This record gives sequence, structure tokens and C-alpha cells, in this order.
Amino acid sequence: MLALLKEKLFEALRAVAPLIVVVCVLQFTIVGASTTVFLQFLAGSALVTLGLLLLSAGVDLGLLPMGRFIGAAMAQKHSLMLMLVVAFALGFATTAAEPDVIVLAGQAEAAAQGTLSAQPLVYIIATGVGLFVSVAMLRVVWGYSMAWQLTAVYSMMIVLSLLAPSALAPLAYDAGSVTTGVLSGPAVLALALGVSAVLGGRSSIADGFGLLGMASAGPIIVLLLLGLLR
Amino acid sequence: MIDSGFLTDLARTAKSVALAILPIVAVFVVFQLWLLKLPRAELIRIAAGTVMASLGLFLFLLGVSIGFMPFGRAIGVAVGSLSHQWLVVPFGLVLGFVTTWGEPAVRILADQVEEASGGSIRQRLVMIAICTGVAVAMGLGLFRISHGIPLVWLLAPGYALVIVTLWLSEKEFVSIAVDAGGVATGPLANTFLLALALGASSVVPGQDPLVHGLGLVALIALAPILSVMTLGLLIRWKARRKKP
Repeated sequence: MLALLKEKLFEALRAVAPLIVVVCVLQFTIVGASTTVFLQFLAGSALVTLGLLLLSAGVDLGLLPMGRFIGAAMAQKHSLMLMLVVAFALGFATTAAEPDVIVLAGQAEAAAQGTLSAQPLVYIIATGVGLFVSVAMLRVVWGYSMAWQLTAVYSMMIVLSLLAPSALAPLAYDAGSVTTGVLSGPAVLALALGVSAVLGGRSSIADGFGLLGMASAGPIIVLLLLGLLR
Repeated sequence: MIDSGFLTDLARTAKSVALAILPIVAVFVVFQLWLLKLPRAELIRIAAGTVMASLGLFLFLLGVSIGFMPFGRAIGVAVGSLSHQWLVVPFGLVLGFVTTWGEPAVRILADQVEEASGGSIRQRLVMIAICTGVAVAMGLGLFRISHGIPLVWLLAPGYALVIVTLWLSEKEFVSIAVDAGGVATGPLANTFLLALALGASSVVPGQDPLVHGLGLVALIALAPILSVMTLGLLIRWKARRKKP
């Protein structure tokens, strides 16, 4: 435990150090923020470093095993339905709970000039994410080609973004980032790796990764579609 | 020292961490009761890890909101008053790289890649690929803002390029690349990089900073997909050259 924390401390320092150095250089060359703001930054850096240390040790001890256990148990059950339901539930719940989504839905409401309203939008986006994570899970189980799946998804995105109202496109693309949180991301990653490890017989990298990326495509396509349909 | 603004920050951060962890814990509890039935010792370890991760995220977000946010704004202002507009691009490149280097989810993804590949794809290489991608995206994004180029002009060809590249790449790197795009936009990018973009946008006459600050995140999500697939192509190219 202590050895783990020590290792993670060095890792956290290595992660934050470049940013701190660059900010210090900027402070004394171009930015010249007030001493209070600069001291606040240094205090913030200490918190961020400590936070990163605990976060990454905790993810290793808690969240990754959690995801891996769930994934492996699901795959052993051999129930496709179960896997799809869990994938949908995780995608839906982590998105609907994300504070950024609520902010984003508010912005979308404004951009659409009142034809979309914020509260249902949150659930529509979350449903989109849930559906896309389920489709990605289906791919892990059935093992059809990632290349075809992505070609379909990205082509759809390109076509829709050319057709959709121009005010909506930047917003829709920004929505893609709200779905992968710092905690849910690793858990979903481990879950997919757990499923593909048990199913076996194929590359755990090619099949285990790719869920998070699909989760990001979900809200983009849903928002663009809504923009077209209304 | 402790004013109500700080307390509101505390409460908001705690709430968002709780909301983020709850769905995962709920699914785990259902599985534990129904299928897993893990032994006590294992459960305690997982619970301790989860609490630790939540506390860590809480401190991290708190540090970002009290320490990084104000400085991000100061950078935005400084960039806004630069004498030469093009100077904003190197700013974006450097900050894009170092903020992504500190982004927790990026690090975790790269760790998992090294582990799942049995060490054949190094964590460091994946990190460098993702950070380089974000750096280029920031440079392009700031260039776009100072020249008022519509976002779709970058995104549509960008994703078209993704489709072409993914047919050339190995499927391992395609999967990793898509996930890399998903994790690159974290809390650090949202404070530093967005503030930089808003600052750059505020000096271009006739631009609404909100409209143009938006869409930067979209580029940050796109670029690592391309850069990680490029890393895969480079590795394959190097391996081929070694073989006579």
C-alpha cells in the first residue's frame, strides 16, 4: 500500500510538473498575474497533485477491479441481453449525472431559440450515449469489424454536420466530451476489458478498447439529428 | 479567509463527484449481491479504493477551480493583449501539450494500453501521441479563431481523414485511438485551454467569444484519434524497415 502510494506520488509529480513549469515561465514573461492569483495557482497545484495521487491509487485499487469484475461476471453469464442492459444503464446514468451535460443542454436550448428545451434534452443525450455504448458492447461480443462501425458512425457525423443548422454543429461536437468522466471512463474501460478477456479468442486490445470513443460519438449524432428533425 | 464563494465551490465539487461515482457503485452493488459474491477482504479493498478515488477527484477538481481557473483567465487576458496575433499559436501548442500530460483519464488510458498489450505498446508513447495531437488541435483551433474559419471546415475533413486512416491502421490502434479522443477532454483542458481560446477570441473584432470558444473541445477530441493512429502507422513502418 505504502509502496503503491509512493510510486503514485512520483507519477503525480511527473504529471503536473510540466504544467507548473510552463505556468511559472508564463507568469514571469508575458502573463504577470497578481501575486494573489499566482499564489492561488501554487496552492491549487498542491491540491491537484495530492488529488491525482489519491485518484490514481484509488482507480487502481477500486474502480478498475470493479469494472473488471462486472465485465467478467457478465461475460460468464453468456447473456447478451444483460450486457446490453448494463452498457446502456452505465452510459445513460453517468451522462445524465454529469454536471456539464446540464450546462450544455442549457446552451443548446439557447442556440435552438426555444425549440428544444433543456430538461428533456439531458435525457435525450443520455439515451443517445446509452444506445451507442450498447452498440459498442454488441461489437465486443459479436466481434464484427471496428473499421466498419466507425466508418458508419463518422460518415453519419460528417453528413449530419453539413446539413444541420450551423449554430448547432459546434455545440453538438462539444457535447461529445461530456460523456467520459474521470471516474466513469476508467470503470467503463475496465468493464470492456473484462468482457473481452473472458470471451477470449481474440485481441483484448482491439476488442476491449473503443467503448469510450463510441460513447463520445453518441451525443454528437443525437444533437445533430434533433437539429435536423425539429 | 473562508468566504461563502469557497464554501459553494466545496459543495458543488462534492456534489459532482458524488453524482459521478454513484451510477458505477450502484451497478457494482447489484452485481455483487446477485452474481459476484466477492469475499469481504476484496470488498473492503475495492471500497477503500473507491473512496480514495472519489476523495482524490474532489481535491483535484477543487485545486483546479480555486487555483487554475483564475490563472487560466489571466492567461486569456494576456493573450488578448499580445502585440502580435500569431503569437497565440505557440502558446496553444505548449499549453495543449502540458495540460493533457496532466490529465488523469489520459494517463489511466495509456496505463491500460500498456497493461493490455503486455508491455508491447509503451504508456509513454501513447501519452506523447495524445498530447501531440491535442497540441496541434490547440494550434489549429486558435488559428481558426483568429481567422474566423467555420468549425465544420476543419471537422468534416478531419473526420473524413479519420475514416481513411482507420482502414490503413491495425485494428488495435484504431480502438485505442477512438478512446484517446474520448479521454483527451478533461477538467484541465476545460479550464486552461478554453480560457486561452476565449481570450484569443475576445480580441478579434465582431466575434462572439462564446460561439468561437465553443468548438475548441471538438477539435481536442478529434486530434488524438488521428495522432494515435499515426503512432500505430509509424510503429509498423519502423518494424518493416528493420526486417530486411
